[in-house]
Amino acid sequence: MSDLIQYTFNGLVVGSIFAIAAVGISLLYSVLRLVNFAAGDFLTLGAFLTYFLSVTLELNFFFSIVVSMLAGMGISWFLELVLWRNLRRNKAGTLALFLVATGVALMLRPIIQFLFGTETRKFNIDILKTYDFLGARIAHTQLLVLIFASASILVIALFISKARIGKDMRAYANNPGLAAVSGINVDRVVLATWLISGALGSLAGVFQGLVQGQFNNSMGESLLLSFFAAVVLGTIGDAYGALVGGLLLGLFMELSQLSFFFGGVPSNYKPVVAFATLVLVLLFKPEGIFGYRGRKV
Amino acid sequence: MDAFVQPGFWVFVLALAGIYGIFALGLQIQYGVGGIMNFGHVGMMAVSGYTIAVLVIKYQWSFWWAAFVGVVLAALLGALLGLTTLRLSGDYFAIASIAFAEITRYWILNTDSVTGGTQGTLAIPNPLGFGGYTNQPDLILTWISDRLYPIVGDEASRDMSMIFIVWPFLFLFIWIASKLQQTSWARVLRATREDDDVPRSLGKNVFRFRLQTLVIGSVFGGIAGVFWALQFALLAPEDFLRIVTFYGWMILILAGATRVKGLIIASIFFGFLYGSTRFLEFWPLSLLSSPERAYLRVFLIGFVIILLMLKRPQGLFGKRQEMVLE
Repeated sequence: MSDLIQYTFNGLVVGSIFAIAAVGISLLYSVLRLVNFAAGDFLTLGAFLTYFLSVTLELNFFFSIVVSMLAGMGISWFLELVLWRNLRRNKAGTLALFLVATGVALMLRPIIQFLFGTETRKFNIDILKTYDFLGARIAHTQLLVLIFASASILVIALFISKARIGKDMRAYANNPGLAAVSGINVDRVVLATWLISGALGSLAGVFQGLVQGQFNNSMGESLLLSFFAAVVLGTIGDAYGALVGGLLLGLFMELSQLSFFFGGVPSNYKPVVAFATLVLVLLFKPEGIFGYRGRKV
Repeated sequence: MDAFVQPGFWVFVLALAGIYGIFALGLQIQYGVGGIMNFGHVGMMAVSGYTIAVLVIKYQWSFWWAAFVGVVLAALLGALLGLTTLRLSGDYFAIASIAFAEITRYWILNTDSVTGGTQGTLAIPNPLGFGGYTNQPDLILTWISDRLYPIVGDEASRDMSMIFIVWPFLFLFIWIASKLQQTSWARVLRATREDDDVPRSLGKNVFRFRLQTLVIGSVFGGIAGVFWALQFALLAPEDFLRIVTFYGWMILILAGATRVKGLIIASIFFGFLYGSTRFLEFWPLSLLSSPERAYLRVFLIGFVIILLMLKRPQGLFGKRQEMVLE
């Protein structure tokens, strides 16, 4: 029983981080038909920049997170102006978008390594402090992440459903042509999508760094496919779906370690659970849990 | 800059270029002929390289028989990938193919008893002791360099022996691939890149044609793994990260989607980029330490990919309409 509580809790924590990262990827896909291969490295960037500001420069932790989110937005904005806008104008195909996103990832990684070093880092927060909850051990950092991540998910969901620009995004994703003729400023929608995904990338990176305790500069990159799994599970291009898909995937990855699931998956195979989920969803339900059958995949 | 005038440097560049040229040729057949975006190509190289290492080290097979089995297994992995996921549309298949390669790598990483796990093939239990690891590749390469010695003298080396093994194969494969492109088989496939319905209405089984392309490409991925195993003898899971597939894609887009011969120049350029960053010692790069300059190579490869896609998506030798498809 305590195992079940433990792994469910772990799953919710991991899943909420997946949800935040996945919603950025899903929004970008819905608006731009772009699979953002650089998303993982934006997490790494957020974690390392927050580390630099809060530990090396000894600034306030929350202030550091905000600055990192702004930096993620700034880089995304810059890339939209110099890269993506031009590619759209050139009518670049799927492959070109894929490769440019990969190119961004390949360039970002050495920049992070150069600026912040290659050492393993940890935030200035007690990672050993734990609470006891019905026999489960809950780390202080996990609890913090769960609270703040849940709040972020709520804000994101409200933003997409209520804010003007959130509605514009959904309208544009549904029918770009119709959205454009009904007076939606396309460039503004695209830019907003980039800014959101940049901010969420940094935020998810800090959360992931907190949960891991220690992190290195391959942190985000190694999670990228798990995010894709969450996106596909929740129906690619569906922002709410990505939130649910992230939570489900996190829960599934953790609960698969319990013995009822084929005797329990060893913990070092956790990423494989995500990859296998990705492949299986693509095979048997490529439209995801919220899609309909007729969707072209 | 002295390094660039040393013959040893260029020999290394050429040896590497040969291996990656074959690797990229597999991708080129898949994309250029079949329109398949395979981003998990590195998995085929990992499978064949590791198969060879395990068979040679653990079971004392002859290198060439092990190589044969390695390539067959790479082809089977390609077939498995295709049979399960090739019906998906382009971007979905691309993601699934990465997942396949990553699952392969995680399996290698975590199955210590077979593959040596994180420590690489060095940790495979070996009845012959340490020498047994590199014994066979060493014997093959030394046999060649002994024959090169009378001709080139002290320049004879492991890398130069590699050139004499890899490049004839690369030329042979390029010749085969260019013949392949003129067959009716390739014409059907090129038609499927534009539109599935036309070839289908002519009674062609589009799926089977594309599956064949994927398997043929995987065979070349597997053969690249054979030469990789020969060149480096010891393998580790981090040799087969996702990024290696994108090295291949850089070569491919530099050459152009269907320009088989462009591969030669593109892969030499890649080999130079890969090998040279350690030696770029002029200011401001001299401010970087040697390991930092190794990251520079990843940075430059990312930069070249972006620059090509922005300014010349058809590659140096390709036709524009072939690269901006879809």
